[in-house]
Amino acid sequence: MEIIDTICGSIHANLIEGKAYLLILAGLKTTLVITLAGLFSGTILGALFCAMNYSKNRLLGFISKTYIVIVRGTPVLLLLMLLFYVVFARTRMDAIHIAVIAFGLNSAAHIAEIMKAALDSVDPGQVMAARALGFTRSGAFYHVTLPQASRHARPVYQNTVINLIQWTSVVGYITIADLTRVINAIGARTADPFSVIFIGIMIYLMLAYVTYLIFRLSDRKKRAVG
Amino acid sequence: MIKVENLSKSFGSLKVLSAVNAEISKGECIAIIGPSGAGKSVFLYCLNALETPDSGSIRINGANISDKKIDINKVREKVGMVHQNFHLFSHLTVLENIILAPVKVRKMSRVAAVERACRLLATVSLVDKKHAYPDELSGGQKQRIAIVRALAMDPEILLFDEPTSALDPTMVGEVLAVIRNLAKQGFTMVIVTHEMNFAQEVAHRVLFMEEKGIYESGTPDEIFNDPKKAKTIAFIKKLKTFNYNVRSFDFDLIAMSTQADLFCGKYNIDRKRINNVNLVLEEMTTYILRHGYEKSRSPDIAIMVEYGDVDKEIMIEIAHDGKNIDPFEKISFMAGGKGSDTDDLGIFMVKKIAADVRFKNENGLNKFKIRI
Repeated sequence: MEIIDTICGSIHANLIEGKAYLLILAGLKTTLVITLAGLFSGTILGALFCAMNYSKNRLLGFISKTYIVIVRGTPVLLLLMLLFYVVFARTRMDAIHIAVIAFGLNSAAHIAEIMKAALDSVDPGQVMAARALGFTRSGAFYHVTLPQASRHARPVYQNTVINLIQWTSVVGYITIADLTRVINAIGARTADPFSVIFIGIMIYLMLAYVTYLIFRLSDRKKRAVG
Repeated sequence: MIKVENLSKSFGSLKVLSAVNAEISKGECIAIIGPSGAGKSVFLYCLNALETPDSGSIRINGANISDKKIDINKVREKVGMVHQNFHLFSHLTVLENIILAPVKVRKMSRVAAVERACRLLATVSLVDKKHAYPDELSGGQKQRIAIVRALAMDPEILLFDEPTSALDPTMVGEVLAVIRNLAKQGFTMVIVTHEMNFAQEVAHRVLFMEEKGIYESGTPDEIFNDPKKAKTIAFIKKLKTFNYNVRSFDFDLIAMSTQADLFCGKYNIDRKRINNVNLVLEEMTTYILRHGYEKSRSPDIAIMVEYGDVDKEIMIEIAHDGKNIDPFEKISFMAGGKGSDTDDLGIFMVKKIAADVRFKNENGLNKFKIRI
């Protein structure tokens, strides 16, 4: 009974006192905003880099390849710090916006690679067959290449989303109160970090699981239509 | 209907087609045969502009398809194509594969397209597979679906690029049956094929491609039974013969026998004679390897088996560049077959099987002719 009392006390001290749960919710919201906005801009930018890679213009291809190599090969935290302390240091830009830019730029490189691999995996013979049936180039891309490529890309893309959620935990370095930083702060204040860290772990796990569920549901919908 | 003039095509420095001329009229079924790499498929791909010719013109119903101003997609709607590797859309079911182009390209209503697709599927007996995905089908089924997919666009011409080359031998028949049926209905068709019996049977005209162009053309009877030009004659002769070269003391006997079996099988030669052919091949090569060559040099034995359509005789020719020995001379010497070793016994058996054995040495080449 004593143990239960201790746990309840600890949870109470960490979550309820001083309305700490509100802090956690706010941190969760920040984490989600950075993830989703970063993912959105990363996907669009990634598609752009991927298209550049296939372009006939050699320079565009070179730019895209170099960008992907550099960004994929360096930690996102350094990019974040570069933007925060150097590039946007003199502007009064909100740190969260800077984080969105950093994660957008970083995930764009990964997503461009995912898209390229997915597009390359589509059988060129099927595209040729579509052309032979009278489809235009874009028609063949839209009706044959794209559906197959997106099917191939799904599992890897899902992985990227889950990774991105976790990578955002470094934004605390540039003063943003995201989920991880809030949990760290509460733990430090109550001098009882265990339970609040445990709660943090559970929240991240839940986010990963929700991502998995969203992908599964949309996959099923697609199957039903297709 | 199709008129090809001075068509040339190169890939880099490799010239594939050089000044090809051809004309195909409505309702005609054309078979294109020839050795690998003769440009047969490239020629076919030029006909619906999947390959762009370097020079020359292709007119389909009068329209020059290499003209930049022409809407090539409109032309392709009228030219159906069936590929060697099927290329069904793997993310779609059979039915969706068939209706995709009619609905999206020809803007047919979905209902009408589905109805038409089912009617066409019935003609190839695959209605029950309409909701299957391509990877659930056998090769023969895939190719029949691919034919239906091309037919669903209501083409005026059908191009077949080696439609049975990617199939298991057991499935070739079902696909050929479908194509044969289309030929009977009077479709204009161009078929690139290695199935010579099929080409002979369905084609109105056969084009033999070699030397970067159409080397010889004519009716199936002219090309297969009475070819005029040297390379056609050699090609047709090679079709009718089995060739095997032994270049090592540890040659693959099983491969040789299996291929000889297959060759004889094509002509419905009975089991006993097939066994005799194999016995002759085996005994002769073993004998030549053992007595004709020193261990230090590599052997070179060329074997050719030919079947005479008319006299039903099998002619085996074996040439080697080893020592000039005629084992049969020795055998006839020892009448009664008191062979001292197993090799002599082998030669004795060959002699008994053969209707006629001849040996001669020409320019250092020893040639056996054995008739069975």
